[in-house]
This record gives sequence, structure tokens and C-alpha cells, in this order.
Amino acid sequence: MFKSPSFSRQPALGDSTSGRLSLSGVVRVMSSAAVVAICLVTALSPTVALADDYADVNVLVRAGKLAEALTKADQYLVGKPRDPQMRFIKGVIQTEAAKPMDAIATFTQITQDYPELPEPYNNLAVLYAGQGQFDKARAALEMAIRTNPSYATAHENLGDVYAKLASQAYSKALQLDGANTGVQPKLALIRTLFAPDAKGQKPTPAPPASTKPVAAPVTPPVAVAPPTPAATPQPAPPAPAATSGAEKEVTAVVRAWADAWSEKDIDTYLASYGANFDTPGSQSRNAWEADRRARILGKSRISVKLSNLSVVVQGSKAVAKFKQDYSANSLNVSSRKTLDLAKVGERWVIVKESTGS
Amino acid sequence: MHGLLNSLTCVVLAALLALVAPLAHAESAKITKITKGQTKTKSEANSAKALARAAAKPSVKASAKAAKTKISSKRRAVQLAASAALAAPAREAWGGNAEARLIDIYKLVGQANSRDALAQAESLVKDHPNFQLAQLVYGDLLAGRARPIRVLGDVPDTTALSGAQKLAELRQESQQRLRALRERPEAGLVPSHFLALSPRVKHAIAVDASRSRLYLFENTTNGLKLLADYYISVGKSGIEKSLEGDLRTPLGVYFVTGNLDPKQLKDFYGSGALPINYPNQLDVKRGKTGSGIWLHGTPPQQFSRAPQATDGCVVLANPDLERIIKTVEVRSTPVVIAQSLKWVAPQTVRADSKPFEDALSSWNAAKTSGDITRLMSWYTADFTSYGKTLTEWKPAMATEVKQLAGREVQLKDVSFMRWTDSADTMVVTFGELVQGAKSGTTKRQYWTRQGSQWKIFFEGVI
Repeated sequence: MFKSPSFSRQPALGDSTSGRLSLSGVVRVMSSAAVVAICLVTALSPTVALADDYADVNVLVRAGKLAEALTKADQYLVGKPRDPQMRFIKGVIQTEAAKPMDAIATFTQITQDYPELPEPYNNLAVLYAGQGQFDKARAALEMAIRTNPSYATAHENLGDVYAKLASQAYSKALQLDGANTGVQPKLALIRTLFAPDAKGQKPTPAPPASTKPVAAPVTPPVAVAPPTPAATPQPAPPAPAATSGAEKEVTAVVRAWADAWSEKDIDTYLASYGANFDTPGSQSRNAWEADRRARILGKSRISVKLSNLSVVVQGSKAVAKFKQDYSANSLNVSSRKTLDLAKVGERWVIVKESTGS
Repeated sequence: MHGLLNSLTCVVLAALLALVAPLAHAESAKITKITKGQTKTKSEANSAKALARAAAKPSVKASAKAAKTKISSKRRAVQLAASAALAAPAREAWGGNAEARLIDIYKLVGQANSRDALAQAESLVKDHPNFQLAQLVYGDLLAGRARPIRVLGDVPDTTALSGAQKLAELRQESQQRLRALRERPEAGLVPSHFLALSPRVKHAIAVDASRSRLYLFENTTNGLKLLADYYISVGKSGIEKSLEGDLRTPLGVYFVTGNLDPKQLKDFYGSGALPINYPNQLDVKRGKTGSGIWLHGTPPQQFSRAPQATDGCVVLANPDLERIIKTVEVRSTPVVIAQSLKWVAPQTVRADSKPFEDALSSWNAAKTSGDITRLMSWYTADFTSYGKTLTEWKPAMATEVKQLAGREVQLKDVSFMRWTDSADTMVVTFGELVQGAKSGTTKRQYWTRQGSQWKIFFEGVI
């Protein structure tokens, strides 16, 4: 339920261009505002080289080589100590490496130097929540939202923090202590969800097809240069009147995906994603699947309702945009979502999932 | 998605404010609008309306002055949110009264200002973490940021199950606190029991059990002035104590008889205790049993207790009890505990007092006259004085009258309070000063009305 930094992937400004940046997941956490900031800060440096450095570090992170990744990031930061992008990546590495105090220090400094960026606040919140400091988590998330009111991840996280704080207040109100069996399962559930992720665990029933993280397309970092709208799938005027056969197929796939999610049919749900699905953050496919399993099967009830679904098909690629009303247990979240799909053989599969309008 | 929180906020508010609606009529128009403007399901809107109806009792007397509105600026809320846990709001600016602060929060909810309501709730529970009702409201305001709130204490099902009784009690407490503020006595009115209070009586206390409320008065030269009123808890089994261990709070006219040192008390009694003289002479006459009825505070883990929670004592929040202890005098302070107080204009009280004042004067004249038979006609057949029957007591009275030898007995500092249930009782306190003497004695009498005739059934030096 709670998005840890490495899972946060939606373009913060809701700007589809940033979603198209071909950076690895970790970097994608940064908003396009951040990218702009980087461009400003490092105006004199060749952006391609920069992107290479980020990508290199991210490859190490993905491979689980956190110490190496950290060394490389630090080396880079010797030359460019204020670089927000690399500092942010460093914070993520420290988070993944279970060094929350270091990560908090890193992200806090970024918020001081770049108070306009919502992402460091969001990640601070995750770290605070991980330490049970929900008031601080809430404050950080509220700052994230103040800097970027449409930052969906922060909203989603804040919803969870509010729920957790409410649950604490309710326990105090009703004088229920932690030992009370009535509330224990809920608290335990939230605690595990707030944990950085289930990375360390062996992904138990992962399908053998997707064991290699290699599948995730680390596309040339060149794309980072100017966030050109060229990469944006041209939002061709949605033509609901004459829905083509392909559009119908895609619509059906998207609906089936939402239904499987609602019904907690985890296998069908995971099968909706292609082998080359761009997993969020620096997660491997296995880690991502394990995480999805834990999150979906861990809910007593899930409801996913789609509305305003529009599908645009271009050859073997399709983009589905819709409003997603998600509710699970006590959480209700409405968000805009975009699914990129690709036709693999006879099937349409999801290759990218992003939140934001 | 950010719009989500805003719209949810409104729903919370619609529900919470249903409870507050009657407090501030001006706001109820807004409330309706909010409910109508909701994109939520009809049933939700209807349930909110139903709540509003349920809360709006016919006897509503809106009185916004009940709690002083201290709406903080939006900026304050923003600051608070920004620095959240770290920011300790300037306490003096928020006033010391936890209940007033809670009511302010309800009002903000009523004004659909959930942001300030949340900020103030956060500050309130920070200052009073053991104020369970405030925690419940704080929980609702937090939860309301992420989901609709339908009732006060809209806790998750599992929590509701394990805390069902506590939850019901907190809702009752909220209702009682609101009710007492909604149904406030009009300014200038006084409880009908206090017919005459001598200037020596500096303060008086009246408890209205039906409203879970204690009213503290100052007896000024211009009559009784309401100083403050507080939420209280009474017996688990309610009121009308008659037997030891019946877990009921007694009803009647009592006096504070002591002030117990909190250091000598268990934590359970909180910041102190003021025992009262239950069973009083009327109770004794009626064969009521039990003892140790106190006004006392709350244990550390509880700011206040449920409306019906005690073994018969009247329990107040510690800060409230402390103020009372600081204010009132032992022995002279009357404590009237009624099922429901009747508030009347002071001039009505004076008119009602006249027949009794005449009776008291006639009794006094009979005593001065030295005619023991005439004097004894003022006493009932079942008269007692600290265990003595009328026959046993009469010789002492005869001696006293004889010693007067026609000197006038002056009644000083006369106070009398009326208690009417199945019988009509007057509890009278005065000083008797014999003409020429330097000092007198303080006596208390209990009178009962037989038809139009007032007679004494207890008399004794106190």
C-alpha cells in the first residue's frame, strides 16, 4: 500500500514527457522539475555524460551491488557535490542498504537545497514512517504536496499515513494497547508494508519466465537531454465512435487486468504484464512480483474501478488512459493512470504503468 | 487525486458536524449544502442527514457563546502542518480549557474547516494525550483525510469490535458535553434549590446528572454568579443512591465536608477529593446507607470518565477539580445534586422563600417566648437530633429555653435550600446569637412541609 521510494514511478508533474524519460526507475522518481533543475545546475556539463553516470549507478543498484553503487555515487559527488539527481540516487541507495539515518540526512539536505522538489520529501516520509515517526512522515508528505499538488504518490502515501495516525489515535481513544488482538493484525500489516520492500526475501512462486532483470529495457540515457515531447505517444484524438478491433482488444485486456486485481486473481493479474514490463524503481521482476503479491493478497478486499477509459493504438503499441478508483481495506484513492501496452504474438501485454494525469 | 482529499474532507465534516449542528445554527445551512454538494452515495448523505436530525433535539437553545470561538488563522494551520511534530503551539493562546478546545474543533468541523480542526485536534491531544474523546475526534479527522467518516468514532471494524464499550461511552460523553452546551441555562438564572444563601457562603455547586454537568457559582452581593461548569461522571448504575454498594450517586442537598490531600490518595482519585455529607439527615431519615461520596478527579490514564462510570462519586477532570478545590470552602459550600436542575429567575426564588421565612421567624419567636409547648409544636413526631428522638431531646431544649430567660435569639447568616421530591424539604443553616452574648453556635435544621405547614425533623449544632 505504501509506496517506498524505489516503487514511486509516476511522473510527478503528470507530464507524460517525464514518464517517457528513458532512465531507470530510480531516476524516474525525480520529477521533470528535478530534471530541469539538473539541467540548470549542470548547464555546462554534457548531459549525455551525466546520464551515463546516473545509469551506471542505477545498473549497480539493480544488480543489488549497493556498496559499489554508493562508492560510484560518492565519486561523482566529489566533483558535483550539489547535484540533486545523484544525491537523490544516493539517498535511495542508503534507503535500500537499510541505512535510514544516512538516507534521512541525504534527503533532508536535498529538501534544504531544493525545497521545490516534492520527491525528497516523499522519500523522507517513507523513511520516517519506517521508523514509526508518522507525524514527521505526515509533515514531509504535506510538504511534498505543497510543492507539487498533483503528486499522486505523495497523496497515496499520505492517505496511508493518515490512516496509520488515525489508527494510533483510535487505539489511544479506546485504550487498546498493542497486545490487543483486535487491532494487532492491522498494525502488523501496516508495519510490513512500510518496510522498504521484500527484496531480501526469496521470491517464492515467481514464474520462471521472468527471472532476469535484464528484461527491463535500460534504454539509452541519451533521452534525458531535453525532455522532448517527441517521445510522447501522440494523444491522437480519442475516437470512441469508430473503435477499431485492436482498440477493443486493448480495452478488454485493460478491463481484465482491473478485474483480476479486484478479484485478487494474482496469476492473471501478473500475466497481464509483459516479460519486458518496465518494473518500477530498481526492482527486479522477481522482487516486483513478490511485492505485488504481498500487497494484493495482503488486502482483505480490493476494488478497482476504471472510468473515462481511452485507448489509442498505433501498430503493435497501445496507450490506455483512465481514471482509476482504487479502494482496499480502509483506503480509497482515485488517480489518473496510463498503461502502455504492446502486442506480443497475439496478446496485448502491459509494458509500462504510470500514475498521474 | 488531490481533489480527493478535499472532497473526502467535506464528507467527514458532514458527518461530524451533524453532531455539532445544533450548536451553531448559523452553520447548519452550510452543512446542508455540503451534504447536497457531495458526490457520495445517497445513502451516505441520508445517514448524515439522519444524524443531523437525531442530534437536533427540540429543546435546542443555540448558544454560540458557550465556548469561545478561537479560530486560528489558516496560516497557523499551515505552519503546524509544515513543522508538524516539532511545532509546539503556544499554549496560552489556546486557552487552558480542554473541553472548550474540543468544542472549537467541533465548530471548525461545522464550518467545514477540517484543516484547522485537524491542527487544533493535534494540539489538543498533544497537551492532553489521555483525553480519549479528543483522541477519537483526532482519529476521525485524520482518517477523514483518506476516507469518508460517517459517525463520530468511525473506527475500523476490528477496532470497533475490541473497543465497543469504550466507543459507546465516548460517544455518550460527546453527546453529554454537547448537550450541556446546547442546553445552557439562560444568563442570570439560578438553580431553584438555592433559596437563600448567606454572604458567609462564598460559593455553591449544583450538579445536573441528566446533563453530566457541574455548575460552580460564586455567591456575590448581587446573588449567584455562574463561574464555570464542567463535565462530570456519576455512578455506573446512575443516580438516586439508597444502598451501600448500589453504584449510584445520591440526589439531594449536601455540603463539602473536607478536602483530602491528594498525596494521601491513590492515583485513582486524581488531583484530590472533596467529600460531601452523604447520607444527610433526610437520607438518614429515609434509611439510606452507604458513605464516602466524594467529588474527585481522574486517574492519570484518563482525562475524563464515561458519563456513568463511578461507584457513586461525582468525578471531574483533574484540571476542573483543581479549580474547584482552589475556589470553594470546606463546610460552607453547598453541593446540590439533582437529576435535572430547574433554572429560575432570582426574584422568583425570593417570592418562593417568603412562606418559609415566615415559618422560620415564627419558630424563632416561639423559642424566644420561652413557651416550650408552643416551641415544640414546630417539631415533627419523628424528629431526631444525632440519634436522639424528640422525647430524648426535649429536656435539653427545655433547659436551653429556660437559660434564655426571655432574651432574644438572633438568627444570623441564614441560608436555606429546598429539596423537593416525594417530600418537600428545607435545609437550613444559621448562627444563633443570644442577645448579649459574644458568640453563638451554628446550627442546621431540616424542615419538611406538611400541607402548608413547615415543621422541623432535624436540628443540631454543626
